[in-house]
Amino acid sequence: MSASPQSVAAIESPHQLKRFWESGPAAWNKALTSPRAMIPFFLVAFAVPLVLQWVEDNSSWIGAQYWTLILATCAMYACLAVALNLVVGYAGLLNLGFIAFFGIGSYAYALVASDQIHQRYPFWAALLVVIAVTLAFALLVGVPALRLRGDYLAIVTLGFGLIMRDLILDLDRPPVLAGHQLGPDGLNITGGTNGIHNVEPFNLPMNLPILGPVPHFRMYYWIFVGFLALCIFCMLRWRNSRTGRAWVAIRDDELAARAMGVNTFKYRLLAFSVSAVMAGIVGMINAAQIFNAFPSPNFDVQTTVVVFIMVILGGLGSLPGAILGAIAFTVPPFVLQQFVFYKYLVISLVLVAVMIYRPEGLLGTVSIRPRQTMGGTLELITAEAAVEASELPAVTDAEAADLEAAAGAIVEDPEWKT
Amino acid sequence: MDYFLQNFPQQLVNGLEAGSLYALIALGYTLIYGILEMLNFAHGDVYMVGAFLAAGVAGVLVHNEVAAVPAGLAVALMMVVAMGGAGLLGVGIERVAYRPLRNANRLAPLITAVGVSLFLESAVQVWVSPASVLVASNALVPQTVFHLGNAVTPLTGAILFAVAVALMVALDAFVFRTRFGSALRATAQDREAATFMGIDVDRVIMVTFFLASALAGMGGVLFGLRYASVDFFMGYLLGIKAFTAAVIGGIGNIRGAMVGGLLVGVLESLVGGFISTQFQDTFVFLALIAVLLVRPQGLFGQPLTDRA
Repeated sequence: MSASPQSVAAIESPHQLKRFWESGPAAWNKALTSPRAMIPFFLVAFAVPLVLQWVEDNSSWIGAQYWTLILATCAMYACLAVALNLVVGYAGLLNLGFIAFFGIGSYAYALVASDQIHQRYPFWAALLVVIAVTLAFALLVGVPALRLRGDYLAIVTLGFGLIMRDLILDLDRPPVLAGHQLGPDGLNITGGTNGIHNVEPFNLPMNLPILGPVPHFRMYYWIFVGFLALCIFCMLRWRNSRTGRAWVAIRDDELAARAMGVNTFKYRLLAFSVSAVMAGIVGMINAAQIFNAFPSPNFDVQTTVVVFIMVILGGLGSLPGAILGAIAFTVPPFVLQQFVFYKYLVISLVLVAVMIYRPEGLLGTVSIRPRQTMGGTLELITAEAAVEASELPAVTDAEAADLEAAAGAIVEDPEWKT
Repeated sequence: MDYFLQNFPQQLVNGLEAGSLYALIALGYTLIYGILEMLNFAHGDVYMVGAFLAAGVAGVLVHNEVAAVPAGLAVALMMVVAMGGAGLLGVGIERVAYRPLRNANRLAPLITAVGVSLFLESAVQVWVSPASVLVASNALVPQTVFHLGNAVTPLTGAILFAVAVALMVALDAFVFRTRFGSALRATAQDREAATFMGIDVDRVIMVTFFLASALAGMGGVLFGLRYASVDFFMGYLLGIKAFTAAVIGGIGNIRGAMVGGLLVGVLESLVGGFISTQFQDTFVFLALIAVLLVRPQGLFGQPLTDRA
């Protein structure tokens, strides 16, 4: 994909603004993923807690801590949405057990950084453990499930999420199989419904040069934003690589991709496991941030749906969309306490409404609108291709008239009409 | 071994009871999948709504002491209301949420179905009851217990099994012996060709949703009578297990779903009785994965061909 430098040309006149508005979600997505948009965005994101702190210091407002926590949650969900986007938006795999990998990451870190099994690994060792464990689970599910057609993948991953939740809830006591107890009495791996407490946070300096003392939540906000930036950078690089093109090819037309010699299983497994490992690392950061690993939000299928709606609303295949979606669905429950009760009701309604009325989301690059075709089988059309076509040099009316005249058409001459 | 022989009949009976319920729900998955090639995640929640409708009817009749209504009539009323209500709900869901996406890519209706499922769950949670609702089945069905050798089952269990089997036989006859059934099978085989043959595909799909959802609603009634308690989350796990049953039997295959449901129920019950109650569900899903690996088309399904 050759990005022409003109595609993100600075918008100077209202006319250009209008054209930009009319260029559609895929073009907006492209403009927003360019370094010219991404670098300022992350600089601003980095500075926001400092600004909040400054406002708090210089006014009677007290909410810097609280809002930093909200922002950290936004950043966390944005990371999850970006990871889910990899598997659903890029590779077109419906992974309904996605959130289980987040939970597995949390618990893997909690186990090696608390008194639960009396292990306190240093950060890098813990990170390796988290990656290894989530990868192992991803392969365990992915290798059998990804050989199947899409619908079966959805149900196998849904079942996997459910099994993981049961295991986490039940492994606070030694498992009993056919009357034989496995493991000693008092064996407690996951803490059952109570979860694992007193998880050690990362060993980070409380004071940074230049920035001064850094409160806990601000530090974790920056960690999430940093991880988000890393993920987005990798995903953008990946998107334009051989691997990314293979993913999109599989998503758009699996049969054609296979005919072109793409090893569909390999690339699907890659997308599935990379996304799982990303979710696992987010889970690890979350466990360190809140000092706990709980079964409830970590393994609930509702949480998967919440991350799904973030991706869908933002637009399948769109990274800025994933961030937007994360903000849109994280802030309201914090601000409107009343909203909490109706949260899932609203979320599910929005999900259905978006799918029906604007299936490509706000910034989607994948159009999944119904198409009438003879065979009724054409499925995905990529709006990115349309954007590229629209970037061909525009032909003015006069040029068009010349061309038509050259081709022997009878052309209306504007000057002849007196 | 003695322990096994003594308890096996009871576990088998329990398994057949649960299995006939799974089969009833699995039929819905298989009917809808067969005709639209879509996985209706909301199906388990339609079953849940049916159970709530029945619980509501039972509550009104029993608690308000509408004494004039005999118990048999009350149960019949529960069944009619739950089947009708769930059936209409299914038709409504199809009309509002799935029809606009019928020719969209496969992912779109799946995601919508997940949304509809969460909507039904949270709507019941928010507007009806966040806790379990008791069904006054004691007041409606006599407390008779049947003895079958070493095994016992209450009358409600026998009703569950009998009604479920009767409905399955009726559905089978409907699909394989009636004119509309052959239209349904034609639509499942090739929607466009069916249109060319003069079949009103929209109507077939509507009726399919009604049938599937009404069966689920009846499942809800039977569950309520048997276990006397319903809650907004009950459709979720059962939905997944019923889907497992449909896949094991060969998705899209009606007789397969029936056998698959009974198999899953018996497997689950035997695992619970003799291996581990803790890991019952885990074993069911392992069985699903095993079947998918060895025989992805299910036990009775036609070999899958890729339809790109």
